[in-house]
Amino acid sequence: MDGSTSAPARTRNGGKPIWPKIPAVFVRAMLAGHSALGLAFAALIYLVCFSGSIAVFTYEYGRWEQPAGPVLHEVSPQAADAAFRAVLAKNPKAHDLFLRLPEPASPRLSVHGDDPKGGEHTWFADASGKIVAEQKTPWSEFQAELHTVLHLPRAWGGFIVGLTGVALLSSLVSGVLSHPRVFKDAFAFRWGGSKRLQEADLHNRISVWGLPFHLIVSLTGAFLGLTVIIVGVLALATFKGDTSKAYALFRGPQVKDDPRPAAKVLDVAAAITTLKAKYPDARPTYILIEHPGETGQHAGVNLVTEGRLSRGETVVVDGAGRILGEVGYESGSVGLRVLSTMTPLHFGWFGGWPVKVAYLLLGLGLTAVTSSGVAIWLARRRDKGRPAPRWERVWIAFVWSQPVAYAFSALVALLSPTPPVVAVWGLATLAACASAVVGSPASVSVALRRISAGLIAFVAMAHIGLHARQMTDPVGWIVDAALLFTALLLAATTLTPSPEAAKA
Amino acid sequence: MSGAVDSALWGLALAPLPLAGTILLKRAWDSPGPNRPRCILAGWSLLILAIAASGPLMGPARGPFAMLTIASVVALALVAAGVERRDAKKKAPRELAPEPSDRRRVVWRGWLRGFLAGPLAGVAALGCGLAVAICAPGQIQSRMVIGGLMVPFLWAGGMAWTLSDDKILRAFAVLAGVSVVTLGAAFLKGAL
Repeated sequence: MDGSTSAPARTRNGGKPIWPKIPAVFVRAMLAGHSALGLAFAALIYLVCFSGSIAVFTYEYGRWEQPAGPVLHEVSPQAADAAFRAVLAKNPKAHDLFLRLPEPASPRLSVHGDDPKGGEHTWFADASGKIVAEQKTPWSEFQAELHTVLHLPRAWGGFIVGLTGVALLSSLVSGVLSHPRVFKDAFAFRWGGSKRLQEADLHNRISVWGLPFHLIVSLTGAFLGLTVIIVGVLALATFKGDTSKAYALFRGPQVKDDPRPAAKVLDVAAAITTLKAKYPDARPTYILIEHPGETGQHAGVNLVTEGRLSRGETVVVDGAGRILGEVGYESGSVGLRVLSTMTPLHFGWFGGWPVKVAYLLLGLGLTAVTSSGVAIWLARRRDKGRPAPRWERVWIAFVWSQPVAYAFSALVALLSPTPPVVAVWGLATLAACASAVVGSPASVSVALRRISAGLIAFVAMAHIGLHARQMTDPVGWIVDAALLFTALLLAATTLTPSPEAAKA
Repeated sequence: MSGAVDSALWGLALAPLPLAGTILLKRAWDSPGPNRPRCILAGWSLLILAIAASGPLMGPARGPFAMLTIASVVALALVAAGVERRDAKKKAPRELAPEPSDRRRVVWRGWLRGFLAGPLAGVAALGCGLAVAICAPGQIQSRMVIGGLMVPFLWAGGMAWTLSDDKILRAFAVLAGVSVVTLGAAFLKGAL
């Protein structure tokens, strides 16, 4: 947060401050550190925040990309078993199969596995368990991976995203400490006039009111991203570098690997029936069947109980369908229970659609905080007679490059049978950033917002044109409507008559 | 009604509470009259009530987190609704907050500061997390998760400190010392 805001007249009468006075030298030093950190990580934080805001609706994008379904709200254990066996028949030597059962966020029955050549596939099944289609959701997968690993090798990508989370967390700490009027100015929001004060108000108000959310997502994100390195060092200290032993502590009852053929393949229907009887309040959401058809075959069944802030409890079942025990995500130690809250807390997958919408808005708010932080620094330079016009153009072009690149990549993913989504996104980002060489920051901003609006509207129209006849999943229509609304909103921001508003 | 729809509806049903609480807080902020303390008390009470009520209605852990999130959006919407148009021609009032301190630009200090905030603070934080995971009492998984959660927090704190502290060598000495002690303890014990 930037401390360079001025107090409005009315807060001057707001009474004595209830917070201890922080020495100005300390505040100035904190501001210097806050600026340095923000500038060093600005682009990465911006990208991770923007992609994270979009990723809240990952399940919905998957449904939108393939809205023909089949839409299933519940399936029988026998249907799940049939789907599992049908996919296993495609590759009887599959190492593992991942069976996903219908749930409110994703009403599909799907099985993920590899083919004999090692290629990975996900198949959709109907209510009887018959395989009816292969999952093709390239854009949903693209946007999720951009947020989690930036499309880099998993260890490096996760580390960089985790480090970005640490930088964001650090910025929150230094921002609060460098803003002595943080609560006193909590409602002061002024627009127009000095660019620097306008951006500072935006930056500080979103930062203050969104603080609980900002702390939660940056801490959980940094933890999830840094897991690989933390576990790696831990394994180095305790298991002679064998990370699998460290991960095994979180996998519950172990089943010994035995590759000999089993008398019969694991009965998924029986396992689900047994678990439903033992856990009547829980709903199975996915089943990972390892070494199917081998003597050492077993399954981890994830059970979600409504009302709990948790990814669910995982129960391990052996090849004969006997329950071996729980991992302990909901019944185990404090550590396991805390661990199971990380993913839902980070992505907003715990309170239904109001929380998802709130996460989207607050995430975009955090994105705006990052953008305005750099804008404040640039405006401060300009105010002090040291303008950096090139950086002003580059930054605004980068900020608006992401809506352009996301929309363009979604369009290509819709229209192309084999879309190179990452390459398209990268090229669109570069092209949008290249617009910095022409025009003023205000004109670059307006142009890119208009292009974004046009592309987003085009994506929705193209989707309706392609899928309208077989859109059995209502989320397809809802996402299209949301896209059209977003396009209108973006376009409206470029129609503001006053020249100051165009500076944003 | 499914549980997901249920919790969504409860989230929406409780939203008026943080809205009313924020309105009262804004009223106290807007007009410092004799009712100000009562408005502040009532405002915070409503916010706390919303979080407390969300526990039994939406789940003891899920409810408060959901309500905190929804309350943040509601409060921001209220702040946005109260936006004031500033006169572009009018000169901005005197700035009350200080400027960032102007440091002399010395290349080696910049690199050293970057090294302290990045790798060294990271190693020190990792050392603390590892020491907790290996040396602290309690169940193994709890020690590992708590130690792991400490890493980003401590790294962030170390980053904020080293980037703002003008006495760079002091920061270097502390971080190096913490790294040696914690990693040493962790590797010496070497068993969970």
